[in-house]
This record gives sequence, C-alpha cells and structure tokens, in this order.
Amino acid sequence: MNSGTVKWQRGVFVAAFIIPTFLFFCVFTIYPVIQALYYSFFDWSGMSQHKTFVGFDNFKQMFQDPIVWKSIGNDYFLVVGKVIGIMIIATFFAVALTRFNFKFAGFFRSIFFIPNVISVVVIGVLWNFIYNPQIGFLNAFLSLFTSEKVSITWLGFTSHTIWMLLPPAIWAGIGFYMILIIAAIQNIPSALYEASDLEGANQWQQFRTITVPLVWEQIKVSIIHITMTTLNGSFIIVWIMTEGGPDNSTQVMGSYMYQMAFRQFHFGFGATIGVLILVLSLITTVFLQRLMRQETVELG
Amino acid sequence: MQTGVRHPFVKFVFYAILVLWGVSVIYPLLWTLLDSLKNNQQFFFNAPWSLPRFPLIWGNFSYVWSKYHFDQYFVNSLVITTGSTLLGLILSSTTAYVLARYPFRGSGALYLLYVSSMMVPFILALIPLFFLMNSFHLINKPVGLILVYGSTVLAFGIFVLVGFFKSLPKELEESSVMDGASYFGTFFRIMLPLAQPGLVTIAIVNVLNVWNEYIIGVILINDPRHYTLPVEIAVMQGEMQYRTEWGPLFAGLMFTIVPVLIVYILFQRKIASGITAGAVK
Repeated sequence: MNSGTVKWQRGVFVAAFIIPTFLFFCVFTIYPVIQALYYSFFDWSGMSQHKTFVGFDNFKQMFQDPIVWKSIGNDYFLVVGKVIGIMIIATFFAVALTRFNFKFAGFFRSIFFIPNVISVVVIGVLWNFIYNPQIGFLNAFLSLFTSEKVSITWLGFTSHTIWMLLPPAIWAGIGFYMILIIAAIQNIPSALYEASDLEGANQWQQFRTITVPLVWEQIKVSIIHITMTTLNGSFIIVWIMTEGGPDNSTQVMGSYMYQMAFRQFHFGFGATIGVLILVLSLITTVFLQRLMRQETVELG
Repeated sequence: MQTGVRHPFVKFVFYAILVLWGVSVIYPLLWTLLDSLKNNQQFFFNAPWSLPRFPLIWGNFSYVWSKYHFDQYFVNSLVITTGSTLLGLILSSTTAYVLARYPFRGSGALYLLYVSSMMVPFILALIPLFFLMNSFHLINKPVGLILVYGSTVLAFGIFVLVGFFKSLPKELEESSVMDGASYFGTFFRIMLPLAQPGLVTIAIVNVLNVWNEYIIGVILINDPRHYTLPVEIAVMQGEMQYRTEWGPLFAGLMFTIVPVLIVYILFQRKIASGITAGAVK
C-alpha cells in the first residue's frame, strides 16, 4: 500500500466522522442562535412571510415595557435566593455527609439527589399541590392550628408570589451542588484534618480554615452555574406553577419571551428578550468571576 | 482517619436535619403514590396526608392509561428518548474519536466551538428552532423531536468522550491497523467497545434529560397524539381547574416518575458523576 492511499483513507475516515455531526450542530444549534439575533431586529408576527425591519425598535420597546423590568427583577431575585439557599444547604449537607462519619451517609447522598432526576414539570405540579388553596398541604397544615379552615391562595398574590417559587427551586437544586462540593471535599488530603485534630481544632474551625478555602474553587463554579441555569432555565418552573401570573407579577425573562412569542405571536419581540437573556447572563457571569476572584485574594 | 464530632448533641441535631431533608424528598414521592389511589371525595374531605381509604382506587391507573391516552404518551416518550439517545451517541462518539486521535487543521478550534456552545443559553434558539422545524415540515413529527434532542446532547457528549478516548492506550489501535483493519473497523470493533463506560454515562444523562424535557416538546408538538409525558402532565394540570380528577393526575405523575427512578436506582453512581461532569469545565 502506498502512502497516498493511506492518506486518502484517513481523510475519508476523518471527514465521515466529523462532517455529519458538524452539519447537525450547524443546523440545530449555530443557525438558530444566529437567527435569533437576526429576528430581534424585525417586527414579525410569524404568520406572514413579511418581516418588517425595525432596527433597534424592539430593544427600545423592550426597555419601555414595565413587565420586562419586572421580569429582570424576578430573575435576579431567584438568582440571589437560589444562590444563598442552595449554597448554604448544599455545603452544610456536603460537610455533614463527609466530615461527620454518619452512618448511612451514602444512603442520604443517594436520596438527596433524587429531585435532580425528576422532571421540572413534575416538581412544579407537586409544589402546586402543596400550595393548592382548597386541598393543599400548606393550608391543611395551618388549619390544624386555627379554628377556621385556612384558605390562602398562596400563588394568587400580586406582590409576593415570587417568594413561593423559591422553595421548589431550592429544593430541586440541592442534590446536584451537594455532589459537586462532596467531590471537592473528598479531594482534600486527610493529613490536613489530622494535623489540625492534633492541634485541638474543632469542627467549626476546621470548616473555616481547611474546608472552605480548599473547596472555594468549587463553590465559585457552583455559584456561577446556579446563576446561569437560573437565568436560562428558571422559566419552566415559573410557567408550570403560575404562567407568570397573577397579573405578570411572577414573570421572568424566559416565561415572558415564551408568552410574547408563542402565545401572543410577537416573535421579533420574543427574540429580543432572548438576546437580553444572553447578554445579561454573559455580563453576570463575567461580573461574578471578577467579584469572586477578588474575594479569593482577600482570603488568601 | 477522620475523627467524629466531640459533642453528641451537635451530632444529633445534624442527624435530625439530614433525616428531615430526606423525608422532604421521599415524602412527595410517597404521597404521589398514595394520592393516586384516592377518589375526589377523599381529596376534598380528608387531610392531604391521610392514607387512601379501602378499596384503593387502582382504577385511576387504567383510567389515565386509556382515557387520558397515557399509553400513547408513554410510547411517544419512549420512542423519542431512545431515538435521540442513539442519534446523540453516534454523532458525538464519532466526532469525539477523531478529535481525540486524528487531529487535523482546525480540530482544536472545532473542539472549542462545541465546548463553548454549552455556555450559550438554549432558550435563545427556541423561536428560530420552531420556524426551522416548520420549514422542514417537522412540527408535530416525533422525528423532529428526535433530531433536536439528539443535537442538544452533542456538545456535552463530545466534551466527555474526547477525554475518554484520550485516556485509552494508543497501542490498541496501532496493532489493529497493523493487522490490516480499516479505520472504520478499528473504531467500531475495538475503540467503541472500550469506550463503553463513557458511552453509558452519556446515554443515561441524555435519557434523563429527554424523558424530563418540557419546553422543546411543547413548542414543536401541538397535536395531542404526539405529546410526550411532561407535556401531557402540564396540560392535564391546566385542565384540573375545571375538571377535578386529582387521583388520575397523580397516577399520571407515577407513570412519569417511576421509569426515571428505576434508571436512577440502577445507574446511581454514573448519574451523579455524569450529570455533574458538565459543570466542572
């Protein structure tokens, strides 16, 4: 066999394995993302072939829309609430399940991860049932302590309903980040803990001086990951539980985009909100990376 | 050696918190099962935590299965999950193998492109994807969902498998090529079987994601015959406002949750490491 044929065979092989995947990737990932940027400059109902080029009008309109501002506020409310709630609880569980020699630690780990394998739709439906005004858990529980039956419509207030979406979001997220932090803790050489045991340090001191500094990288990654997935994905639980209501008070950017595009057929405007989500999540990620890098320096 | 806590009270409090959280996870699953065996009367007149009365309403299961067409949705979800997982595996393992073992001009950039696409919010692509599939006449077609879901796992699959193929010893293929096997033969007969642990990880992660996925399903399918389970659950919940069939709703939830739990119990370790692999970039 001469080297020409070998080269040719190798070329055919490489092409056959690279090109189909790449075509797929272009059609179903790259093309839609570019199209989304393009659509945001058009006024388009989706039904007609006619798209009217409107320049930055969609963006102008977007920033004048009070619901968009409300959505941005709600998104960041969920980001802050989830980061605080998940990081505290997940770190606590990770430490408790690694540093405390509990029996059944492995069992607890397996159990805690379960919400992460269940569909967000199912989680939303289950929590809706907890909040259900007539037959839900929460009202039935509160009714145990009152003479009259409690019938609070937990998801019906225009001012604080977004708070009600925080517990399901935190509950569903714990297991994932707990596993990440557990992996980081298990990488810490046990000699460090042994040395500090000899010095008589207690668990809390060990947590502060050994565990936190050495899993800080993983905590940073987790915070950024929570932020990204919340900005990009929190709209599904919102949509299942409240559809952004009542009166758009729980709308987040994703749910508002979905409603504008697929319920009210303002596809151009919907795409513009999509671009807003992209830009905000990139800015937020960069900002968080900067912020947390500084904190590491201060700690060190 | 790790030493335990010195203070038994602290340990007790920690233990209590762990048990409490464990209950908060297990109990909703248990009550889903219990409530799927109740009739409406029990929902309205008994506390939600009360046990179902005898006779248990097992009929709720056959009712959603046939009257709510969960038989169809179950099969739809099964077909779409299987199809897209196989598609994703083929597309990602082939490219990952070449990127790991036969670098060419631009292969590094290509790898970077795949991996960095994981950072772009998928929600951005939803609207164009709808019109793209519409122009392919693939709205309301299961194959449309298979194609889209198959492509959503590409980046993650390539990311994991490139690492995997790189970790395999090179001598294996070299001797295979010496023996006169073609590149294709070497890949399918020798490398792919060796990569099995990596392939299984990706397959399971994909199975869970696709089985649970809602938003793409609801956008690309509006004909009830082709609904997937999560889409139907959401629709059914919406209908509960004017049609109270809580028992059947919970029976429907059971059909959605139980397969996932079985997969989780079988592949626990792989799932925890697989799902978290993408986050540690």
